[in-house]
Amino acid sequence: MPHIICCVKQVPDPETPASQFRVDEAAKKVVPVPGIAPVPSQFDTIGVEAALRIKDKTPDTTITILSLGPESYRDSIKHSLAMGADEGVLINDPALYEADHWVTAQVLAAAIGKLAPFDLVICGRQAVDWDMGVVGSTIAEILNVPCITIAKEIQYKDGQVVVERVLLDGFETAESPAPCVVTVSNELGEPRYPQLRQIMAAARKEVKVWTASDLGLDAAQLKNLVSLERLYVPEVKVETEIIDGETPQEKAEKLALKLREAKLI
Amino acid sequence: MPTPTLAALTEEQQLIVSEVRRFVEKEVLPIATELEHRDEYPAALIDQMKGLGMMGITIPPEYGGLGLPFTTYSAIVEELSRGWMSLGGVINTHAMVSWMINSFGTEEQKRCWLPAMATGEKRAGLCMTEPNAGSDLQAIQMTAVRDGDDYVLNGTKMFVSNGVQGKLFAVLTKTDPRAQPPYSGMTTFIVDKDETPGMTVGRLIEKLGYKGIDTTELFFEDARVPAGNVVGGEEGQGWYHIMATIEIGRINVASRAVGVATAALEDSVRYSKQRRTFGRPIADHQAIQLMLADMATKIEAARLLTRAAAARKDAGERADLWVGMAKLFATEVAQEVSLMALRIHGGYGYTKEMRVERYYRDAPFMLIGEGTNEIQKLVIARNILKMFGE
Ligand SMILES: Cc1cc2nc3c(=O)[nH]c(=O)nc-3n(C[C@H](O)[C@H](O)[C@H](O)COP(=O)(O)OP(=O)(O)OC[C@H]3O[C@@H](n4cnc5c(N)ncnc54)[C@H](O)[C@@H]3O)c2cc1C
Ligand SMILES: Cc1cc2nc3c(=O)[nH]c(=O)nc-3n(C[C@H](O)[C@H](O)[C@H](O)COP(=O)(O)OP(=O)(O)OC[C@H]3O[C@@H](n4cnc5c(N)ncnc54)[C@H](O)[C@@H]3O)c2cc1C
Repeated sequence: MPHIICCVKQVPDPETPASQFRVDEAAKKVVPVPGIAPVPSQFDTIGVEAALRIKDKTPDTTITILSLGPESYRDSIKHSLAMGADEGVLINDPALYEADHWVTAQVLAAAIGKLAPFDLVICGRQAVDWDMGVVGSTIAEILNVPCITIAKEIQYKDGQVVVERVLLDGFETAESPAPCVVTVSNELGEPRYPQLRQIMAAARKEVKVWTASDLGLDAAQLKNLVSLERLYVPEVKVETEIIDGETPQEKAEKLALKLREAKLI
Repeated sequence: MPTPTLAALTEEQQLIVSEVRRFVEKEVLPIATELEHRDEYPAALIDQMKGLGMMGITIPPEYGGLGLPFTTYSAIVEELSRGWMSLGGVINTHAMVSWMINSFGTEEQKRCWLPAMATGEKRAGLCMTEPNAGSDLQAIQMTAVRDGDDYVLNGTKMFVSNGVQGKLFAVLTKTDPRAQPPYSGMTTFIVDKDETPGMTVGRLIEKLGYKGIDTTELFFEDARVPAGNVVGGEEGQGWYHIMATIEIGRINVASRAVGVATAALEDSVRYSKQRRTFGRPIADHQAIQLMLADMATKIEAARLLTRAAAARKDAGERADLWVGMAKLFATEVAQEVSLMALRIHGGYGYTKEMRVERYYRDAPFMLIGEGTNEIQKLVIARNILKMFGE
């Protein structure tokens, strides 16, 4: 009975129009946009899809969704349950709301330890809000298990995990014994839409809620390693230059020269 | 973010609404306007809807459906229609016919048809209207004459939604054309198009809105239908079946109207914050605010009335008074609101570049379908007069 744990973070909707994106520089926080609900981080939903594909082939697989955040994160857990995951756990502890990647990974690793035994932990390659891309591998480090990153396909059979990885110039196949951590990329494909039947089942499922002390952790001892110095929206300057010329050929030649000068071609 | 509303939703309904909305945002909205302008049947979207279980929303679980109440059905139809009114329409007569079979059919009929309807393998349509009889349904001319183990059907049905794509049709006929009152001689049959050589599809009817969905004529020429296909197995019950079933259609149309109106409001709010005249966003002009306030208030009233009427139907009672009010009110609101939305969009609202022109063409259908609003008023008045006795 394979057990897969998928880590799911909730993020501001990345499709929020740029014109509505605001940060509070003093508080160093992104201001939530009214009327636009946060969503599960896309790579994490793809991770749930990867787990479900394993479950499609091995139906006795159990998929647990694990999330660290405030009560509102329940929405992303419920969405994952509606997609077909079996159980949901929310670690909700106000002392952990400001956790950096290091504290996050420690808390998630402790929760994974509590959920053991497990065969596979799946994370997104990065969360689409901060794009740090380190929680998955840090969890593997803390749990002292192998980590395979940026997967486009995960297969699991008889205690062996086979992963097709995305490289800059192609693909590579990596293998690891379970348990291990795999991070997934969008090349894995679109996550499925929940069927109404599964949404109904998800509505009835309890989400377990744990605090740091339920995990045997002392929140006061968990210290961020990264401190945020400044948060701001960069100013983007656009300068326009019209290339003139008598004929299209002349314009093209001038444009090509300009681009070469700028070392763009 | 779901539309803020006073309507109380259970946790299950909230989750369903937010998931349907996600589907609509990602899959429907990016292509709806283009498909609508091409009047193209949205085959891929309907396949997705089948896969999600939308053909079996109200069919009981023992026949493969989800057994959800009409309040939930109403919320789903509203969300679909917020994306594209036609998608709320595609499941309408399907839901009506499945409800009719489940409520009035024999056990054998339920087992025979409902499972394939729940998966969407067999989609259904409803044939009441004829070229010469719409509001006055007792004036239909289609006949069904018993011949051995069969009935032989002759006549023409008009405005059949799902006429091409549908496989099963509930067909209202007269088994006794001389009966007095006429409704006592009316009988409904379930006819499987694939198994009935005398049943053919006529022309596709081109429409002002409600595009993409097949609305056709259907011809019945000596069409042989087994006697076992009489809904409930008994002649003379057709009128009663149709009148109870049409309440489901009215819940659907009212919900669609709320969905379209909501879309029109949302587009208007966004546009009025962006568009500037006389040095400020038009949302700062009182004239625009007055329209937005009217729109939002009427839509919320329509939504609450519709959900409450659906709840009445869920209670298992005849609900013609309440669903009539919901259908009347919600569709008039959709018509008004879509025009206000068009006004708010100024010249752009009149172009095909904006979605409001689509809402404005989709809204009038709902004044007519499932009984014109004049007919709703007659139903409401009849009920009210009866309520107060002699
Ligand atoms: C796009 C579309 C899809 C449809 N889909 C279906 C379908 O799937 N199945 C189906 O059976 N039908 C369907 N219909 C038909 C629809 O139900 C009828 O059009 C509607 O009931 C009106 O009937 P009618 O068109 O014959 O209008 P009429 O009955 O001729 O009405 C004309 C006008 O007279 C008014 N009127 C009639 N009688 C009275 C009265 N007693 N008092 C006051 N005013 C009155 C009406 O309100 C209307 O304004 C569809 C129609 C459309 C446009
Ligand atoms: C088919 C078509 C043909 C046209 N032909 C021509 C043409 O030949 N030549 C030409 O020059 N133009 C033409 N027009 C443009 C037309 O005159 C404008 O669309 C019209 O004046 C409205 O301007 P707008 O579209 O910019 O709307 P906006 O001015 O942006 O108005 C948007 C909304 O805000 C409201 N509003 C704006 N200001 C205020 C205010 N101060 N107080 C309260 N409410 C306010 C408006 O009433 C409207 O509801 C045409 C338009 C169309 C659709």
